[in-house]
Amino acid sequence: MSGVAPSSARPSAPPPSSRAASQRGYDRADPLIEQSRLIVCVGPGGVGKTSVAATLALEAARRGKRALVLTIDPARRLATALGLDGLDDSVRQVETAALTRWGARVEGQLFAAMLDTRASYDALIRRLNGDARAAQRILDNRVYQAFSRTLARSHAYVAMERLYDVTSQGEYDLVVLDTPPTRSALDILDAPGRLVRFLDDDVVRWFTKPRLGGRLSRLLPTGSAAATRLLGLLASQQLVEELISFFSVLLHLREGFRERAAAVQELLRAEETAFCLVCSPSRTSLWDAAYLREGLVSRGVRLSATVFNRAYVPSGDDSATPLAWAPPVEPRERLSALGLTALKGAAVHKSAAVPRPSEAALVLLSELSHLRQDAAAYNHAAQAAMERFQERLPPGSLRVRLPELSDDPRDLIDLLHLSRALFTPG
Amino acid sequence: MLTPLSPTSDPFAHRLQLFTGKGGVGKSSLVAALALTAARRGHRPLIVELGHRASMEAVFGQGPIGYTPHDVGRGVAAMNLGVEGALVDYVADNLRLGGLAKLVLDNGALSRFLYAAPGVTEVVTLSKLRQLALERRPEGDARWHPIYVDLDATGHALMLLELPRVLDGLIGAGPLRRLLASVSALIADPDQTLLHLVTLPTELPIQETLELYRQLDRGHKVQLGRLYVNQVPDEPLSYRAVSAMDELSRAAIVQDERELMNDLALARVALRRYAQVTDQLSRLAAEVRIPVVRLPRLATGEVTLEELERLGEIAAQGVMDRGAVDRRAAPDRRAAPDGSTPSRDGVER
Repeated sequence: MSGVAPSSARPSAPPPSSRAASQRGYDRADPLIEQSRLIVCVGPGGVGKTSVAATLALEAARRGKRALVLTIDPARRLATALGLDGLDDSVRQVETAALTRWGARVEGQLFAAMLDTRASYDALIRRLNGDARAAQRILDNRVYQAFSRTLARSHAYVAMERLYDVTSQGEYDLVVLDTPPTRSALDILDAPGRLVRFLDDDVVRWFTKPRLGGRLSRLLPTGSAAATRLLGLLASQQLVEELISFFSVLLHLREGFRERAAAVQELLRAEETAFCLVCSPSRTSLWDAAYLREGLVSRGVRLSATVFNRAYVPSGDDSATPLAWAPPVEPRERLSALGLTALKGAAVHKSAAVPRPSEAALVLLSELSHLRQDAAAYNHAAQAAMERFQERLPPGSLRVRLPELSDDPRDLIDLLHLSRALFTPG
Repeated sequence: MLTPLSPTSDPFAHRLQLFTGKGGVGKSSLVAALALTAARRGHRPLIVELGHRASMEAVFGQGPIGYTPHDVGRGVAAMNLGVEGALVDYVADNLRLGGLAKLVLDNGALSRFLYAAPGVTEVVTLSKLRQLALERRPEGDARWHPIYVDLDATGHALMLLELPRVLDGLIGAGPLRRLLASVSALIADPDQTLLHLVTLPTELPIQETLELYRQLDRGHKVQLGRLYVNQVPDEPLSYRAVSAMDELSRAAIVQDERELMNDLALARVALRRYAQVTDQLSRLAAEVRIPVVRLPRLATGEVTLEELERLGEIAAQGVMDRGAVDRRAAPDRRAAPDGSTPSRDGVER
């Protein structure tokens, strides 16, 4: 599957107009929500991935779609804004009426749900198990309990499960999936297959139905007893027994797992599925993003867009333009330009209508100049780092950059603000 | 919890130093910085990354970092503690099964089976850390000191620490029980092991750090080390300069000086962000009883080993000098005109 190199012939390639409309080689994210039914947002921690995911869904809803964002771990206030105060993982419709006052009509509908590992797992076991007693047997198994608690490893399964659930019924025009930070995001692609392979392994069957034998029984002459003993030595006999009983129940669910895993793998590689990489131009963020970029491309999925968040300090009058370097102005000259003159270390006014500038004003002018230089230097370094990163992006992949906002988004109005930078205004 | 660490204690005294924090808060940079500084002070630091992170490869640029520790330059050694290698070590060390163990583990299926069993990953990881901490040179002293462990995520740290509770009732009296007991003893030894927290001075990371701190403070028998706050911005303007903001704003409006208005707007955003950082740091200070170390921002883009060494010096000095940090050590720092700016590096409490 790694042979599927992304090419510009793919339908996700932005139409030439979107590239032309952008300034200095950067795009807007419009084609992403117009052409996709599923957007998987991946990226390192702390780059505003959850905000971007929510904004994509909100904009789709504004354009008349039924859009759902499946989020994990949003900041508390954003969770409140999305109506995700509850502890369960059910899908809720987001109240968007407040946006009308801001001139933003939401033509469609916005939905949101939180991904909760434990709750989703339990629900999965119940769904796959027609028999309530069998389901309860799994839920009571301590191995299962420990397994479903180990969030780091099991999040991917849950995400897949929810995806299957919400997409198979075709209820939504667009689903946006938020993923856990950084590298484990690739588990989304690897985990479903891994679980199926694992359940298919000879060794599992061999442990659960010892008499069947398998490759291992030829390697270990003393048969299953020896292997069980070895495991018992490694861990404990009791652990082994619980493990075996866990897997023997799980094994009955294998077909269900297999079907779902296959369906999800297909979905993730479908024409209308887009992966959106979110990162910031900081060094550590770009390292992790580069790992994800390589991982996604090598797995043959469509990396349709990269969003560089906090890509630049905007210039004062236009948030779409990075603040540029300007030659420093000597504070006294600047005072003169203001119609003020400096005299003997202090400045005096030329006209009585203008208040007398103090020595502090000179200090301020000098410090303002430093601030501006620092911001310009940041923009310059960020631009260079992003350009290096883009060299290895697949052709046709959108590149979107967002300005540094003064606050993290906390409500729908902040998301609306973010959407003005993400999408073509109007 | 145990008595909080003294703010002035030697940052290189503890053998095993674990670092945890949300992704993207700069754990890897901090770990690299401290290791570089430890090496400069004549220690033999070892950086341990868990799983398949490759951050240290990018930092040191010395090619792939594998399971066997190797020198990555400037007296720093690094390794990647993968589960597969640790599993082989664990079986070889604990079961004396020799060839049979190797045979079993070479069988991918059984390895995956073990990997899926809860706790196995954590047990073999801890076991390897213990082995590294006990390793000696032919001269008789410790081979690695300090050992800096970059724990991938908050959940990972908790899982390691909660292991005995999770496995309680599932393990018998076998080697796993004995191993768990000896590993727990090492982790719980306040003279040997520290767990440091790393965060950023913004709302969400601080919130999560406080939640983690409460959890650790309540239930876990591990000595908490320090709370490192990365990327604390400089105060954007001196008090003096701020006092002239209104005056200059008026003049800029009267004269329609666009450039100046923009510069002032930039300053207002910076001041507001700085105020938010200050608020978040106060939240920490109000609750956290361990030393808080503030670290300056690193430049965007390429960061050199020299810059990391400077960061390490600030981190180490912040620990030892209680805030009396050599200001020259901080990059891009401008002294306020009247020198009245309070020190922003170093330990608060």
